[in-house]
Amino acid sequence: MTLITAPHPTRVASPPPRRQTSRSSLRRRAAPYFFIAPFLVLFAAFAVYPMLFTLRLSFTNWRGSGAAEWVGLGNYTYLIGNEAFWASLGNSATLWLLIVPVQLALALVVAVLLDNAKLRLRGFYRVAFLVPFVTPLVAVAQIWVVVFDQDYGAVNSLLNAVGLPDVGWLTTSQWAKPTLALLFLWKTTGFIVIILLSGLQSIDRSVYEAASIDGASPARQLWSITVPLVRRTLMFSLVLQTLAVFQMFAEPFVVTDGGPYSSTTTAGLYLYDHITRADLGTGAANSFLLVIVVMALSLFFVRLLRTED
Amino acid sequence: MSAPILVTTTADPTGAASSGRPARTLATTVASQAFLVVLTIAFLAPVVWAILSAFKPAHEIVADPLGFSPGDATLENFTRMFADVPIGQGFLNTTIVLVLKGTLTLVFAPLAGYAFAKYEFPLKNLLFGTVLITLMLPTIVLIIPLLLEMKTLGWVNTYQALILPGAIDAFAIFWMRQVIAAVPDELLDAARVDGCSEIGIFARIIVPVIRPALAGLGVLTVMNIYNDFVWPVVVASSERMATLQVVLSTLAQNITGNRIGADYATVTGELLAAASIALVPLLVIFVLLQRHFINGILAGSVKG
Repeated sequence: MTLITAPHPTRVASPPPRRQTSRSSLRRRAAPYFFIAPFLVLFAAFAVYPMLFTLRLSFTNWRGSGAAEWVGLGNYTYLIGNEAFWASLGNSATLWLLIVPVQLALALVVAVLLDNAKLRLRGFYRVAFLVPFVTPLVAVAQIWVVVFDQDYGAVNSLLNAVGLPDVGWLTTSQWAKPTLALLFLWKTTGFIVIILLSGLQSIDRSVYEAASIDGASPARQLWSITVPLVRRTLMFSLVLQTLAVFQMFAEPFVVTDGGPYSSTTTAGLYLYDHITRADLGTGAANSFLLVIVVMALSLFFVRLLRTED
Repeated sequence: MSAPILVTTTADPTGAASSGRPARTLATTVASQAFLVVLTIAFLAPVVWAILSAFKPAHEIVADPLGFSPGDATLENFTRMFADVPIGQGFLNTTIVLVLKGTLTLVFAPLAGYAFAKYEFPLKNLLFGTVLITLMLPTIVLIIPLLLEMKTLGWVNTYQALILPGAIDAFAIFWMRQVIAAVPDELLDAARVDGCSEIGIFARIIVPVIRPALAGLGVLTVMNIYNDFVWPVVVASSERMATLQVVLSTLAQNITGNRIGADYATVTGELLAAASIALVPLLVIFVLLQRHFINGILAGSVKG
């Protein structure tokens, strides 16, 4: 207020908001450091430091004890020339294909249906679809092991009851991935439904009215109006789930332990193998290769959905 | 459960939601209801099955996984499970971690998000970029160096090891930054002109405005901490420090160890009992708070 001077009497009514006294502007400049300090301390100690440590580790052959020998890009070239590394990425990519497109399509349809205010039991459905999401992962993974057991499982009992033969859900390499994908879909689709609902709610309803008058079918409206208008929310979900699928660890760890015949050794699980074998340098290099892959995929999706403007 | 939970925070008068929708014939209404009912059954079945089966005699879970007559109901799986694993200690540990770590996350993430969203300071973009990179790092990547760090600090099998490393959550910071960035600057400037301090602006303007998203973050944080598995297994493997998820995973390992007959049935029964006990509190928390959670995410995520 001290800056308001006599030659500009008209300004008195509305003081210029951006101008501050030197004391308050100093406070304002100091404020973010104050707000970010606790985060910064923990982040530096428990995220940045370990990250840099891992990066350095990736250029050595350290095995958890003794001296570490600098091997340059040796770990990286070893992995790039290694079939098992590519197989783990391939397993994750297959899981991605089995999960993400199905999940986005399913979640979008459910979200559109739940967005209809006239729908009966709408509140109930929203909660029901989120039940798997709030169920502890280890419990879910264990329930999966029991339910999909080849000899004693409920799913095969159900199949037998309608005259179908047993399926080796978790014991054959062709079924293990789809069974794992089903677990992931079951666990997380409700969350994606809610995220997509948030996108749907920002759509101006009159667009649909106009389309209905022009005779566009509901399917046509979904594809030509809804999808483009929730593009950013879809992209957000796509990137989020891509990260999640390529980092998937606890599910294959508990349910299949990577088997049978390495068919569910995901990128995350392969990485963990290095840790259990105390091959820490290679493990570290593996994690940064994984980060590069995930980053490249995320950027690719962001680009892809942007250029559709 | 069927209470109306649509209290939108976006500018969408609820009435408009129905009027603008494509005209639905009776057939499409019936078809979509049927579709939702089938899907709901598929989504609820495994949880319902697990809870019901936990009350079955162990040998029947294996012999006839689908059958259940209430006359069979028994608590034997529960009593055996309580005798075999320290699930009470697991609950206690999980609760302690939940309260302390949850509080830290819910204070630090919005504060940092506020700084990232509304202030300029050197290295801001580099710092935020680092946050995004950690979002892309698989958790297991940081486990080796973190574990070494904990050993150096002498923190293995302690609460601080379970609480502090995860108290800074990259996704929470990212989310809070997005939400706070959407608060109009004019609101903050007006408060400054009125002599409000910077922390006062955070407490009196930002926090009330972002309350729905904060509630959503709260529920999500509770879920994440409750579900945390890999880090507790590694850093707090002693029985005294084991969290609920660690207790569950120990039981799970027994199953793979006993593939044959009676042992398999016994451990499976115990496991379903433990899983039911572990999932019920979270389910109750969620049903009580679902309104905040759903609205929080509706308010907080990226808009179409």
